[in-house]
Amino acid sequence: MAQVDVVEGCRLPVLRKNQENEDEWPLAEILSVKEIPGRKLYYVHYIDFNKRLDEWVTPDRLDMKKLQFPKKEAKTPTKNGLPGSRPSSPEREVVSAHSTAGYSSQTLTCCNSKLRFKRKAESVSLAPQASPVTSVPSLPGSNGTARRLMASQPGRKRKANCGGTDEDSQDSSDGIPSAPRMTGSLVSDRSHDDIVTRMKNIDCIELGRHRLKPWYFSPYPQELTTLPVLYLCEFCLKYLKSLKCLQRHLTKCNLRHPPGNEIYRKGTISFFEIDGRKNKTYSQNLCLLAKCFLDHKTLYYDTDPFLFYVMTEYDSKGFHIVGYFSKEKESTEDYNVACILTLPPYQRRGYGKLLIEFSYELSKVEGKTGTPEKPLSDLGLLSYRSYWSQTILEILMDLKPDNGERPQITINEISEITSVKKEDVISTLQYLNLINYYKGQYILTLSEDIVDGHERAMQKRHLRIDPKCLHFTPKDWSKRGKW
Amino acid sequence: MSKLSFRARALDAAKPLPIYRSRDLPDLKDCVSINRAVPQMPTGMEKEEELEHHLQRAISAQQVFREKKENMVIPVPEAESNITYYDRLYKGELKVPKQLIHIQPLGLDNEQPDYDMDSEDETLLNRLNRKMEIKPLQFETMVDRLEKASANQLVSLPEAKLLLNEDDYLLKSVYDYWVRKRKNCRGPSLIPQIKQEKRDGSTNNDAYVAFRRRTEKMQTRKNRKNDEASYEKMLKLRREFSRTVTILEMIKRREKSKRELLHLTLEVVEKRYLLGDFTGEVLNEVTVPLAEKPVYTAPVTLTNGNRHKAELKTKMHKTGLMHQVSIKDEFPFDCVRPKKKYSKRDKLYTQRRPGRPPSQYTVNKADIKQYDFHSSGEEDYTPPLSPPSEPDEENDPDGLFAFRRKAGCQYLSPHMDQNLGVLWEHPELAGMDALRHRHSLTALSLPSRLVGLGRRRMGRGGRVILDRASSGLDVVLKQLDPDAFASPVSRTRDINRLVAQRASMSSGVSSATAASSFAEILNNIQSLRWHCFRPRPAQHQVNEGSRMGKPSLDGRVTSSLLLNTKNNGSGGITEEQYQDHQQQLAQMQKQQLAQLQQQAATPCSKQSSLLERHNIQIACYSECVSKTLDSASAHFAASAVVSAPPLGHVNNENKPHKTSVNGVLHLSGTSRPPHSATLSHSGAGISGRVSSSGIGGPLLPTHSSSSLQSLPNHRNHVSAVSPAHHHHSAQPSAPSPSALKLATVATTLDHVPKVTPASTISNLARENHEPERLLNGISETTMAMEVT
Repeated sequence: MAQVDVVEGCRLPVLRKNQENEDEWPLAEILSVKEIPGRKLYYVHYIDFNKRLDEWVTPDRLDMKKLQFPKKEAKTPTKNGLPGSRPSSPEREVVSAHSTAGYSSQTLTCCNSKLRFKRKAESVSLAPQASPVTSVPSLPGSNGTARRLMASQPGRKRKANCGGTDEDSQDSSDGIPSAPRMTGSLVSDRSHDDIVTRMKNIDCIELGRHRLKPWYFSPYPQELTTLPVLYLCEFCLKYLKSLKCLQRHLTKCNLRHPPGNEIYRKGTISFFEIDGRKNKTYSQNLCLLAKCFLDHKTLYYDTDPFLFYVMTEYDSKGFHIVGYFSKEKESTEDYNVACILTLPPYQRRGYGKLLIEFSYELSKVEGKTGTPEKPLSDLGLLSYRSYWSQTILEILMDLKPDNGERPQITINEISEITSVKKEDVISTLQYLNLINYYKGQYILTLSEDIVDGHERAMQKRHLRIDPKCLHFTPKDWSKRGKW
Repeated sequence: MSKLSFRARALDAAKPLPIYRSRDLPDLKDCVSINRAVPQMPTGMEKEEELEHHLQRAISAQQVFREKKENMVIPVPEAESNITYYDRLYKGELKVPKQLIHIQPLGLDNEQPDYDMDSEDETLLNRLNRKMEIKPLQFETMVDRLEKASANQLVSLPEAKLLLNEDDYLLKSVYDYWVRKRKNCRGPSLIPQIKQEKRDGSTNNDAYVAFRRRTEKMQTRKNRKNDEASYEKMLKLRREFSRTVTILEMIKRREKSKRELLHLTLEVVEKRYLLGDFTGEVLNEVTVPLAEKPVYTAPVTLTNGNRHKAELKTKMHKTGLMHQVSIKDEFPFDCVRPKKKYSKRDKLYTQRRPGRPPSQYTVNKADIKQYDFHSSGEEDYTPPLSPPSEPDEENDPDGLFAFRRKAGCQYLSPHMDQNLGVLWEHPELAGMDALRHRHSLTALSLPSRLVGLGRRRMGRGGRVILDRASSGLDVVLKQLDPDAFASPVSRTRDINRLVAQRASMSSGVSSATAASSFAEILNNIQSLRWHCFRPRPAQHQVNEGSRMGKPSLDGRVTSSLLLNTKNNGSGGITEEQYQDHQQQLAQMQKQQLAQLQQQAATPCSKQSSLLERHNIQIACYSECVSKTLDSASAHFAASAVVSAPPLGHVNNENKPHKTSVNGVLHLSGTSRPPHSATLSHSGAGISGRVSSSGIGGPLLPTHSSSSLQSLPNHRNHVSAVSPAHHHHSAQPSAPSPSALKLATVATTLDHVPKVTPASTISNLARENHEPERLLNGISETTMAMEVT
C-alpha cells in the first residue's frame, strides 16, 4: 500500500461500523490527509452519508484495491504558484503510477515525492483556499451506485450553482468577496463552503457531564482546534483550553442558568429567552457550540437580530442546557425558528419535539403562523414531520361528528389552530397520504395504520409544553428601530 | 373510470375537507390515480442531502412501520456522557427559585478577569508564592489587563507598571513570564478569542472569522434577488434627494441674505439721505470705528457698573469734549496701540495722585461712590486685546473692558490740582511723549474765542478730539481775543522749543492763578512762547466755512464736519442734479445761518460755551435737514450714495475741503449698531455720532431751543437718541438697554448731572445749564483748529 499515495479527492471504500455494529465498506472520499508521528491519517467523507459521520481513519481501513483517482481536467491552475498554498495544485492530484482502477491513464501522473513533501507541510494547515477536491467528477459506477453519476464533486456536492468556477467563490483575493446576506438567519448559503468548513475542526467538547463529538466545523479560536478536548463552561458556555482553566473559570462564573429571563417552567423543564444583542457573549458562545452540530448554519454575522430560546433541565446543580432554538426578532418570511438543536446527549428523547412545540406556542401567542427556516437538515426534517404529523392528526382525530354530519375542517383552520404554516400542513397531509380526491372533492382519509401509529406515538410522547406555564409577551421589534 | 380525463381542482386551503376513515370508503382505491393532482410540497431540505442514505432509510422505515425503529434512525457520532469529576468541578447546589428567573440586564457584568489561569501559570504562582503572596485571581487580573492592553502591540514594561500598579518584583516576574508565554502562544492572545473581521474585507472568506457586524440593516425578502439592488438604488436616491434639499435650503438662505442686504442698503441710503450724508462722511464715521473696534472698545453708555476704564480716565482728565473733525493729525492718537496708551495714562495718573487740595466743586461723596468717576488702584489694568464679540455688543458694549465696581472699594473724586498736573509739569516726560501730551492754548473759530489749554488728538474715525485741561489761567484766557494773536505763526515744530515753551508754561501755571497776569500771557502767546492752536482762517467763506471751516493741514486731504460734507459733491451725479441740489442747500444754509445768528444773539454769559452753540448748530442742521426732505434731494442722496466716487473727488464748488473717505459705501458696516461710535467719545465731547443719530429724532431742536433744560428733558433726550441709534441696528423703536440705563442713571442723578461720563448729551445739558460747574475746569468743546 505504501507505493500508492492516497490524496485528496481519491475515492475508495472505507471500513466503518454500522448501527448494528456490523462492518460495512461504504464508498468514501478522501478530504484530507495528515501525518502524525508514525502514521498517516485520512479524513474521509462517506458518500451518501451525512457529513457528520466524516472522520479521520487509519490507512488500514482503506480498501486500496478499489482506489479511484480524481480526474485531472477539473483542476484549476494555481493562482499564485506558491507551493503549499493550494493542496489542489495540478501535480498533486495525479498520483500513482499503478492505476488500479484503470482510468484513463492521462489523468495519472507520478509525482509522489513532491506530494508527500507538501502534505507534511500542510498536515495541520487549514488554509481557507485549500480545495483539493474541486474536481473528481462522477466515477463510472464502480461501487454500483449508479445514481452517483449525476452527483458530481462529492466533496462539495452542495455547490450546485457554482458550476466549474468553484475557485472564484472561495478564494476571492480578486474580485468582490461575496458575503452572505445580512438578513435572515444564520443559514449558510454554501458559497463559503470550502475545505476548512467541510471538516470538523474540534475533536471533542466537554460540557458539564457530557462529552460531545462535534459533527461539523465551528469557528472556535483556531488555537483551540488542536486540543484533544475543548472545555466549555456548562452555564455560560465559555470555551477553555484545559480543565485547569475551567476550574479557574468556575470560581469566577456564578451563572447556574442561561443568562436570560425564564419564560417557561414546568417540572424540570425551563425556557430562557436571550437577546442576541443584549447578551452577545452568551449568544456567540451558544452559536459556536450549536455550529458544531448544525451544518446549515453560518456564524458569518453577529447575533443581534436573534432571540435565543434555551431549553434547560433543572437539577440541584443548576439549569442544564438541553437544546435551544433561535428566532429572528423580525422575520419577513414567517420564520418562527432559525436554528434549532437538541444537544446530542439529549437527542431522541423527545426534547426536539418539545422545542418545536414551544416554538409554535410562541407563534400562537404572537397570533401568527410560522415555519422553520430552510433548509432543514435530515434530522430537522424528520423531527418537524413528526411534530406536524402528530399535531395535525391530533386535531383530525379529535374532530367529532357534528349533528350527524361528517366532520370537516379546512387547511386554514388547521393552520390557525396549530400556528403551523399552511404549506407545512399540506405537505404533512401529503406525506401522511391523507389527501384524496373522491367524488369531485378533496377529502381527508385516516387509514387505520395511521391512526394506530399515531396513538402509539402519542403514548410515548410524555414531554409536552403546557401553554399555561408560558409567560411570554411578544415585543414589536419593528418599533424599536434596532433589533 | 377514466378519472384521468379531467383535471382535479387545485387544493383550496379555505375549503372544508371532510374527514373519512378508510374503512368508510371501500372504493377509495379507485380514485387514487388522480391524487397526484395535489402538487408535491418540497421537503425544505437541500436536494443532495435529501438523498442521503440514512435519511431515506429512516423515511421509508417510518412510512412502512409508522413509527421509529431503533436501527433505522439516522446515526450520529457517539460521545460518552459521564464525566466523573463533574461534581468536583461544579461545586455547590442551586435551589430552584419559586419565581421565574429574571435577570437584570446590567447585573451581568462582573469585573472578573477573562483570563483563566492554566497549570503552567499555577507553577509560576507556586514559585512566586514562596517569596510573596499572590492569589490566582490577582494573577489573572494582571494577565488580563496586560492582554487587553496589548491588542495591537505588546505592552512594554513601563506601560505595564502604570497599568498594573503592583509590587515591582511581582510585576517584573509576571511581566516577563507573560511576555515569554505570549511569544509561545499560538493564538493572537492568551485569552482565546473569536477572530475578528478586518475592515479591509480581507477576512470576508476566513472561516474562522465569525460574528461580523451587519453594516446596514437591509430587510428584503429572501427570494427576490433584485430586492437588494432596488434597495441600494432607493438608498442612493434618498441620499441624492436629501442633498438636493440641502442645496435648495442653502440657496434659499443665500437669497434671503441678499434680500436683507438690499433692504439694509436701502435703509442706509434713506438714513443717509435724512442725514444729508451725501458724501459718505457719516457713513465713514459709522464704519471706521466699527472697523477699529477691536482695538478700542469704546466706553459707551453710562451704565452703572459697566463703565469703561478709559472713559473714566478721560473723565479724570476733565479734558475736552470731543469733536469730530476728520483731520488727520500728525500726532495721531495712538488708538492702534491701546496698551501703550493705557500705560501712559497710568503714569499720568500716578503722577497726579499726590496732593489733593480741597475740592472746589461740590461733589457729593455718595454720588462719587455710586458713579465711580474715578477709578483708583486698578488703573494699571491693561486689558488684553480681543476681537469684539459682536453679539454681545448690544448688551455689553465694553466687553472685556467693562468697568466693574469693586465691592468695598472707595473711588475718589478728581482734584483740581490733578487737573493742573498737565504734562508740562513733568519735564521728564519730554521727548516723544511730550508731543502727544502737550497742552496748548487753543482757540476756536466759532465762536471765536480761546478755550484755554487743550490738546488735540485724533479720535476714532479720524475725528479730532480736543482734550481740554483746566488751569488757573482759564479765566484769563477766556477773555482773550483769539484774533489778538492771530498773527502769522510759525508752524515749525521744533520739539525742543516746544518743550521749552511748555516748561515755561508749566512754571507759569504752577505758580498759580494769581501770578500770571493777563498781559503776561498775551505777551507770551504773541511772542510765540506759548504754542497756540487756533483755526486757520477759512479760505472760502462759504456758509459753513464761516463757522467751522477746517483747513487742510499740511496739504492733506481733510474733511470738515458734518455740515461741511453737505456741500461736497459726489461723483456720478450730473451737474444739473448737483446744481439743483446745491441751490436747495444754499437756501437751507441761509436759513441755518439766520438761525444761528439768532441763537448767537441770545444772551449768553461770557462763558456761554461753545457747546451751546454747537447744539444750536446741530439743531439748525437737523432742522434744515428736515426741510430738505424733498424728492429732489432724496434722489440726489440716493444717487450720491450709489455712485459715490472713491477718495479725493475734487469739489467743483471750489471748496477746499475734501473728504478723505468721501462717498465710499461701507455697506458692511451699515447693519451694525453705531452705538460704539456714539459712545466712543465719552470724554464728554459731542461726538459727531450723537449729532448724526440724533438728527433722526426730534430731540435736538428741543435741545437747542431749551434755555433751561431740566433733567427730565435731559433724560428725554437720552432716551430719544437711542431710537435713532437703534434704527441702524435694525431694531426700530426699541430703546437700547444702554439708553435705558442711561435714563435710569439720569433719574438717580438727583438733578445734578455731575460729570456724567459717557453721555455726551448729559454733558451738553450740564454744560448748558450749569455753567457754574463748568467753570471749574470742566472741559469744553472746541472746533477744529490749526496750530497758531
